Amino acid sequence: MTGTKALAEFVAEATEILDALGRDLLALDEVRGRDDADPERVNGLFRAAHSLKGLAGLFGQERIARLANGAEDLLDRLRLGRLRLDDAVLDSLVDALDTFQSLLAEASRGEETDGLSRRAEDMATRLARLGSPPRAAEEDPLERLELDPQVRAVFTEYEEHRLRENVRREVSLWRVRAAFDLSDFDQGLADLNARLKPLGEIISTLPSARPGGVNGIAFDLIFGAQVNGDALTSGLLGTPAELFQLPVRPVVGAMPVATAASPEGAPSPKARRGGGRKKAARAPPPSEETAPPAGEGAPSAPGVPPRMRAVPAVESAAPLASDAGGARPEAEPSLRSLTQTVRVDIGRLDGLINMVGELLLIKANLQRLAETTRQDGAIAVSKLFGQELARETRQLERKLEALQEGLLEARMVPVGQVFDKLARLVRRIARDAGKEIDFAISGGEVELDKLIVEELSDPLMHLIRNAIDHGAEPPEARLAAGKSRRAVVQLHAEQKGNHVVISVSDDGSGIDETGVRDVALARRLVTPAQAAEMSRRELLNLIFLPGFSTRDRVSELSGRGVGLDVVKNNLGNLSGIIDVWSERGRGTAFHLTLPVTLAIIRALVVGVSGRTYAVPLNSVLEILAVRPEDISTVERREVLDLRGQTLPFLRLARLFHLPERPVGRHFVVVVGLAQQRMGIAVDELHGQQDIVTKPLGGRLRSVRGISGATDLGNRRTVLVLDVAELLEEGIAQERRRA
Amino acid sequence: MPRFDALLDDFFYRPDEDVSGLVDFAAGSHGVTPQAVEEVPEEYLSFLLEDECYAVPLLAVREICKVPPLTEIPRAEPWLLGVMNLRGELLPVYDVKLRLRLAEVPARVAGPEALPAPRAARILVLKTEEGPAGVWVDSVQGVVRLKPSMLEAAPPGLRGERDCVVGLGRRGAQLYILLDPELALAS
Repeated sequence: MTGTKALAEFVAEATEILDALGRDLLALDEVRGRDDADPERVNGLFRAAHSLKGLAGLFGQERIARLANGAEDLLDRLRLGRLRLDDAVLDSLVDALDTFQSLLAEASRGEETDGLSRRAEDMATRLARLGSPPRAAEEDPLERLELDPQVRAVFTEYEEHRLRENVRREVSLWRVRAAFDLSDFDQGLADLNARLKPLGEIISTLPSARPGGVNGIAFDLIFGAQVNGDALTSGLLGTPAELFQLPVRPVVGAMPVATAASPEGAPSPKARRGGGRKKAARAPPPSEETAPPAGEGAPSAPGVPPRMRAVPAVESAAPLASDAGGARPEAEPSLRSLTQTVRVDIGRLDGLINMVGELLLIKANLQRLAETTRQDGAIAVSKLFGQELARETRQLERKLEALQEGLLEARMVPVGQVFDKLARLVRRIARDAGKEIDFAISGGEVELDKLIVEELSDPLMHLIRNAIDHGAEPPEARLAAGKSRRAVVQLHAEQKGNHVVISVSDDGSGIDETGVRDVALARRLVTPAQAAEMSRRELLNLIFLPGFSTRDRVSELSGRGVGLDVVKNNLGNLSGIIDVWSERGRGTAFHLTLPVTLAIIRALVVGVSGRTYAVPLNSVLEILAVRPEDISTVERREVLDLRGQTLPFLRLARLFHLPERPVGRHFVVVVGLAQQRMGIAVDELHGQQDIVTKPLGGRLRSVRGISGATDLGNRRTVLVLDVAELLEEGIAQERRRA
Repeated sequence: MPRFDALLDDFFYRPDEDVSGLVDFAAGSHGVTPQAVEEVPEEYLSFLLEDECYAVPLLAVREICKVPPLTEIPRAEPWLLGVMNLRGELLPVYDVKLRLRLAEVPARVAGPEALPAPRAARILVLKTEEGPAGVWVDSVQGVVRLKPSMLEAAPPGLRGERDCVVGLGRRGAQLYILLDPELALAS
């Protein structure tokens, strides 16, 4: 089951990559034979091949991975200018795309025929052998550019190549220097990039040698302008950019090679679009292209340039001569796409879920109707009709449940999606922090609601960054402590009943709780008396208090805690909670407990002082009937004795300032998330119901203890309790009184 | 009456025609302002709060509805009467009388102890930057067109803790207290 699902996912993603490859190749084909292929496009092709390689490797698709590796190599040489984009190269790439399509088609059927394997091998060899070296450069054009060698040294190979190309084409080169405020430099830089893009090519973005002031950061952008200086100046009006032209010494001796082709520098987009017209002009050949392969003989034999087929994404429009030996039963051209996946906007699914919610209400009304009709036993006909109606309603109920389940499943995505993104960032963070980290991921196949998965990436990022920055020790310190040189940071997901628990753990130095206590005291978050009574666990939990952490404190504490209150809040919005475990010298673990979905939940409907509230059932552990005399007080706070354990007790009416009614017995809803438990006293229990929770909206953001509202079918809005928040309030009250 | 005016504008007005007399007639301005043609009247919705006549720009009003059952929000500010469900949309409903110091305590209109709403009471759904919000009014009067010359600035600190009263509109003998919906509903 998971195997076919994984395969479907692979086919869907690979199809998308191949479509993109096809589009880019087609665009390159339009400017065939000219020396001005868009570098961005070639780079895009390279990246696509690279992603395909990674994807195929991940899903164990050896043949595709090998061929993608060959294509990636070729494209890498191409983008670095070590290879010229001539007809042979372009044709090979187009053929390679065809081979990819066939390979993918076989993969989607779970087949692996020898014929195609051979063809893929041949293709890879052909790609590797390709390559007329670029025109011999008489002199490195870069030598003519007056640029600080120190600056040149930091260019990547690709950037250097692009710079060389620009010099060769005699594009006017500029150094665009801009300083931004640290707080929003990414935004400023993105704006500047957006302004520059239409005016030319941004070759490199470097941190400026010149400091950007106390709160600033300055950048040098090396920019090849397609427009003259005045246009550039006016195009950058309103940005903090300063312009310096980079002087280029004139060529010594020979004429520059490519300048004749493009006198005003690299071509403007308009000139490139002209290529389309050129293609229309050579109309007759295309009719040949569409002719059956027999007409063209052996079009794909290496060396004989075939014309690019118009739609490369179409699976093998013309079989290759090399394996036309009949080994390909799938050769019939088919326009049907390989993937069965449909991408749907999550908003539409939300709409459907809402619709199901309303259907459920109508069903509840029908049930009530059926019930009253059946009990109206005076008329026999009415009784029969009632029975019939009840039967049909039960049918409807079953179908609705199936519909609801199907919709919820459609929203589920594996948490691996966000895990993979994080894995890519970990290497960078570790390098920046000078730590040696092994990053281990497990449980990526656990599924969660798409919305929750999206919201998880920031909190997880935060926790992982903390684990690397503050948890893991530097290699030397680890060796000294008798640990392995490399620290291990683990990201693990696991389904536990109605919840998913995600943990971020490290085997680092752990949190020093005395340090936490000192900071909390210094910041007056707790009084010394309170701190003295706190258990180690309670002390650790102080790191989640707002105002606990600031940047300067973190280094002093040699601990963690950059904005953990923010992490906690983010999780609260997802009805999740966070818990910390730490042991000095052994490491730290954060456990995030999350509901599987937020869309439709089963709720317990309770009554308090004549009001009705809904409690999400996934956090209800049990329900007790309690006589007033069973409630005891410990240090003036009310508690219950639950099988020998003391349970904090909260009267909902009192908490919400509602008129309390004297009752003979309380119903106590025992709620719990992670390790926290609490009993909430209510007056009545009305039963269970599936509800669609609607958020209270921006204006009511500050309301505490309520996560949203729902409709129970009688036109009355019922509020849904936020159990995580109530738990916290209950615990906080205890702490205050203690 | 305003419709009549609009119709005239649509069908008869030409730059070279002198229709000032007609427009004046339609707007009922008794001919006291000869430059009335150049004045563009704005439409306001007028309503009563504790027998005083208030008005908000018509463009800020999304709809008017009868008072539905309201659900009180525990521990909210007193002027938040509760939330209502309008065709599946959840809207907060506010009592601006508290802000305008027309009342000391909020009306008991939500929860099980709620009194039935008076027959004429309505909820105005106003559009604000923070999203739509309902406002309780005792009754809706109607649409009134006010020209700039009919407006005057509010005496400073006229009423309320916040200056949500932005001006006064005078039309004949009737005085309208003009409210700014954003300020009136600012949290």
